[in-house]
Amino acid sequence: MALILTDDEQALAESVRKFVADRSPLTSLRQLMASGQPYDADVWKQLSAQLGLAGLTIAEEHGGAGAGVSALSVALTELGAGLVASPLLGCVLAAEALARLDDETARGELLPQIAAGELIATLALTSGFGGHVTASGSGAGVTLTGTVSPVLSGAEAGLLLVPAEGADGTAIYLVDGAAAGLTRTRLTSVDHSRSLARVSFSGTPARRLAGDAATALAAAQDLGNLAIASESAGAMRACIEMTSAYARIRVAFGQPIGAFQAVKHRLADMDKAWELGCAALRDAARAGDEEPGRFPVAASVARVLLAGAYAEAAVDTVHLHGGIGFTWEHDAHLYYKNGLSNKVLLGAPGEQLDRLADALGI
Amino acid sequence: MSEDFRARARAWLEANASRRASADEEAEAETRGQDAVIAEQKAFQARLYDAGFAGITWPKEYGGQGLTSAEQIAWSQESRDYDLPTGVFFIGLSMPGNTILEVGSEEQKTRFLPKMLRGDEIWCQLFSEPGAGSDVASLQTSAVRDGDEWVLNGQKVWTSGAQYSDYGAILARTDPTKPKHEGISMFIVDMHAPGVTVRPLKVATGHSPFNEVFFDNVRLPADAIIGEENEGWAAAVVMLRHERIAIGTMGSSRTSPLAFDSLRDMAAGLGRAGDQGVRRELAELYARGRAMQLFALLLRQETLAGKMPGARGSIAKLAGSELARFAGNVAADVLGDQLAGFDSDELYAVTTSIVAAPGSSIAGGTAEIQRNIIGERVLGLAKDPGVDRATPFNQLRVGTQRQN
Repeated sequence: MALILTDDEQALAESVRKFVADRSPLTSLRQLMASGQPYDADVWKQLSAQLGLAGLTIAEEHGGAGAGVSALSVALTELGAGLVASPLLGCVLAAEALARLDDETARGELLPQIAAGELIATLALTSGFGGHVTASGSGAGVTLTGTVSPVLSGAEAGLLLVPAEGADGTAIYLVDGAAAGLTRTRLTSVDHSRSLARVSFSGTPARRLAGDAATALAAAQDLGNLAIASESAGAMRACIEMTSAYARIRVAFGQPIGAFQAVKHRLADMDKAWELGCAALRDAARAGDEEPGRFPVAASVARVLLAGAYAEAAVDTVHLHGGIGFTWEHDAHLYYKNGLSNKVLLGAPGEQLDRLADALGI
Repeated sequence: MSEDFRARARAWLEANASRRASADEEAEAETRGQDAVIAEQKAFQARLYDAGFAGITWPKEYGGQGLTSAEQIAWSQESRDYDLPTGVFFIGLSMPGNTILEVGSEEQKTRFLPKMLRGDEIWCQLFSEPGAGSDVASLQTSAVRDGDEWVLNGQKVWTSGAQYSDYGAILARTDPTKPKHEGISMFIVDMHAPGVTVRPLKVATGHSPFNEVFFDNVRLPADAIIGEENEGWAAAVVMLRHERIAIGTMGSSRTSPLAFDSLRDMAAGLGRAGDQGVRRELAELYARGRAMQLFALLLRQETLAGKMPGARGSIAKLAGSELARFAGNVAADVLGDQLAGFDSDELYAVTTSIVAAPGSSIAGGTAEIQRNIIGERVLGLAKDPGVDRATPFNQLRVGTQRQN
């Protein structure tokens, strides 16, 4: 299996990197923080439609690029490096669940809109203690009741896919963002680049999607692991670059601080963890396209390694910058908070290891 | 690369090598006798050479196959699950061999490389000294010119395979009036020459995988220098780079007592597999071990694509030594107090591996040296100040010598 990037993937990485530098530098995130907006609508339009990132993993027959998991990973790595705020992750997970379910009507209607960036969708996927939703009624009279939190882009989504328990087990239901009895509360997100919401249903009309919910949710979880690992890889690279650059120019005790082993060795450990995590990430991304049977374990390995290593690296980024790194003006805390959020979203480290142990048959 | 090569390799391995679990060469040497093991390995290496699978990327004029990294990778992949009895040649081929290939004279390449490849002559590497470990450039072994020859005196340590080696690549000081890096030369030394004494060095595990080697007025011919006189440090850097890459990408056997598979099976055997803490540790061990394998694979693929690993070999080396320690901690949690006292070979093997683990963060450049290399050569951080860099060696305080 070829771990190195193909020429096409290199080109994609470069175009997304350039887009981030030109259109969504960290100053844009600062503006969103000040305005309270979850994302920049223009940036999302360009990112989803012009760059085509919303449809990367959506099949061509449904208006996507059918480019696959590896391309998605490459793009998310660059978006992660720039902490680009966008509803992309929720869209990707919702599209994955739709693709894995067996509801051709919903697929044909919704996937093209998601691929075009016209419809923000999300999947209400949380860990076991993130809430519970039940379904009652049947046919056109199905309603949902309960709460789930946190939901990615839950306040902005025009469409929510919600796992809910009915009389005959768990199924996934479609809920329109404008449905009656739907209450969405934006949460205080520790990560300024990630908009999260609590979503409550109170007799909310919904449509049951045909297909096996467990399979679709597992596939979405695996893809979510790959996505968060990818974003973490990019953000961790940014942390290493930022901190190395500072260690080269900041002088103390008559030397650049990078000459001190206390600083140098910590950076070397960051770089080591990043390189190992990236090798695992490349393997997972390729497995997603070429050996789907290996994907759950491979994505889990990448997630376990990179989300953990990034969170550590982000703390070290604050620390190695010293006092300046702990100020609001410095960007280090943006990564620190992103790292903290990435560590726990869609499953904290312990849950991830439990899941990996299951997959390995331990 | 022709698929023909891969098919040929596969067929040859099937016919000539066994798939049995990798044997502990030292234990084997103890039971069967070292001479028998060496004889078997020499015979096997010769068959490997004759079949065209030794020195795959080395030039044909020096006994190699003149092929590319693609064939080398294909060979590594095909041979991975076989136990190739070639361990005594590993150091010679990966370190002195590659160094002579890069900086040796035409005569040295022609004289030594083919015999090395065919397994006719075994090589070792002599760098470390009792007073020169991480700071290997502070070495005190000396070579003094006497007419057309050099006279070698001093002591080396941690020399793998010295007891059965025919030749060694040795670093010695040839000009003590120059700063420490500038007065060193690398020589080829005949390990059977008068004045060479090899003594086994017993380590913490109770085994003796290394030697101490003493040189007492050993005479070296003028053409024994690899590279140029007083430019031995450059040759040493080449060899150390090959060493890190060789160690870092060696890969670990799935049958090692501290490998994921072994510890998972032991946990199941002890009824510990339902324990959440044990399960999580085993899962993390799997993830970390897998990342090591994949990073080694990535470096090989990059090499094939023309991007050399360079200082990133240090990442693999560093991560490998950390993985060994982590696996030891997992083993302690899996086995609990059964690890403290036992009467089974299986647990003896586990504890021996745990006791051996600290060696991996010392041998071949300590973890701290690897971190310096990563920091300076990968991340571009300022070099260690090195306050002794400009001082003539004979005015330096080195090792643990007493100050007058």
